[in-house]
Amino acid sequence: MSWRSGLVWSTIGAVLAGLYLPLVPPLFFSLMPETPAEPAPTLRWYLEMWRNPLLTGAVVTSVEAAVMVALVTPLLALLAAISIRELKMPRLILGLMLLPLLVPGVSTGLAAAFFFKQIGIAPSLGTIVVVQILWALPFALLVVLTAMSTFDPVLTEAAHMSGAGRWRAFRDIELPLIWPGASGAATFSFILSFNETTRTALVQGPLNTVQTYIWSTYKQIGLSPTLYALMTLLILLTVSLSAIAVALRRQ
Amino acid sequence: MRLQLLGRRALLLLPVGFVTLLLLLPLGFMVVVSFWKRSLLKLVPAFELSHYVDFLTGPRLTVLGRSFLIAIEATMICLVIAYPIAYYLARHARPSAARLVLLLFTIPFLVNYVIRAFSWTYLLGRTGAINNSLIKIGVVSGPVDWLLYSDFAVLVGMISSYMPFMIFPLWISIAGIDHRLGEASAMLGARPLTTFLHVTLPLSMPGVCAAIIFAFVGCFGESAVPIILGGVGYQLIGNEITSTLDVLNYPLAAAMSSIVTAAMLALLAIWYVAFDLRSFLGKILAWRLQ
Repeated sequence: MSWRSGLVWSTIGAVLAGLYLPLVPPLFFSLMPETPAEPAPTLRWYLEMWRNPLLTGAVVTSVEAAVMVALVTPLLALLAAISIRELKMPRLILGLMLLPLLVPGVSTGLAAAFFFKQIGIAPSLGTIVVVQILWALPFALLVVLTAMSTFDPVLTEAAHMSGAGRWRAFRDIELPLIWPGASGAATFSFILSFNETTRTALVQGPLNTVQTYIWSTYKQIGLSPTLYALMTLLILLTVSLSAIAVALRRQ
Repeated sequence: MRLQLLGRRALLLLPVGFVTLLLLLPLGFMVVVSFWKRSLLKLVPAFELSHYVDFLTGPRLTVLGRSFLIAIEATMICLVIAYPIAYYLARHARPSAARLVLLLFTIPFLVNYVIRAFSWTYLLGRTGAINNSLIKIGVVSGPVDWLLYSDFAVLVGMISSYMPFMIFPLWISIAGIDHRLGEASAMLGARPLTTFLHVTLPLSMPGVCAAIIFAFVGCFGESAVPIILGGVGYQLIGNEITSTLDVLNYPLAAAMSSIVTAAMLALLAIWYVAFDLRSFLGKILAWRLQ
């Protein structure tokens, strides 16, 4: 390794260190006892937070929403990828699919809230799922497109020549090959849904997700050790889910 | 057979329908609401320009200007950090190493930015980790005040939120450039810097634009970072909109939000006209470009 590439790698390492730095402090604060007299570190906040019904309710909502987003988004992304390939106007379809990325979160959430109110749909899990799918869809589409780019269309032609219909060729030849992409998109969607705040907060009504719970608690009473414990769990969950997704893709 | 074809078409158009019905239509409706009247707690359909007049003549206009400025600063700093990294990963790193590094950049992006912003308030605070270590190694004698609740803190929050993801479009577009073009330029006697400025950089522009738009939109609409890291009274357009909502002035919030969205869509339109959207995806969409 030359001194030049050593320099580049240490710069990249420093930038990465800067990005990972904020993932550390919540862990420390979550282990702090209430008063210095108590023994440190303590795990009591990790136990205490489950006694809060508001929080446990939020966890349930978060998981329900994330599972639905993780199921629906890859499907939509897959359909969108196929439509980009097969329908006319691929540019327009791609542009439309990437649009949610280019509208600020506040605007997406606000517009959805007005719209749902006007057509008489009360805030619910469904409205939360809708705005989260909008947020996850562009990312899921990019993941699926990447997976599809490695697929050789010659294989589909071979299937056709062997007498397979369109659906059969897709199901038996292409789908298994792009499956890792679809499952990657599902994991990605799950994580994005679980970490979404701005859009969700505007359409959730009486419900709370874990993230909006953290946000509203911060605004009302500020940060507490329990909140730090919750954040630590969320960071660990996100990091380990990402690791699992990578391990699955490697196989 | 024809029915089957129709069903197939309908299925393929499902995602388009989803985004049109649940994003485009609501955005359009939001523009309509921005002209409505507010009477007590209800909204009455009307055609009032007063909310736009309020916004464009009041102090909120400076908030809009400040948001633009901060978002541009943050985006430029992001680009200066992300481009060299993406360039190195695409050109000089082994593919397996590049993939690993790209992954490492993704993970902090996925962790909720509100949580990361909370951490920064600790790290940047007067008694925080950064001030303590600066004092310890003797760079400063007392704690530095401007680290937290300042433009600097907001920039740190924004850059760490959006820079990681900028690397992707940059990396895709640089990796998609034909190596032989650079070699040809070198053979014709161009120095590496000349080759970079006249060959590589122009060819990576679709990725640069994608990255810029992504970061700019995020920074411009940011509502949590200015609240957490900017401190009391620090207003950007994102948290200005949410605080207008808190006082139930829905039409004004809709008007501000419409202006923000219009600005973003104008950016998108420029991008759409200037580049083929597919080109930033480079190799990913190679099969569609043939």
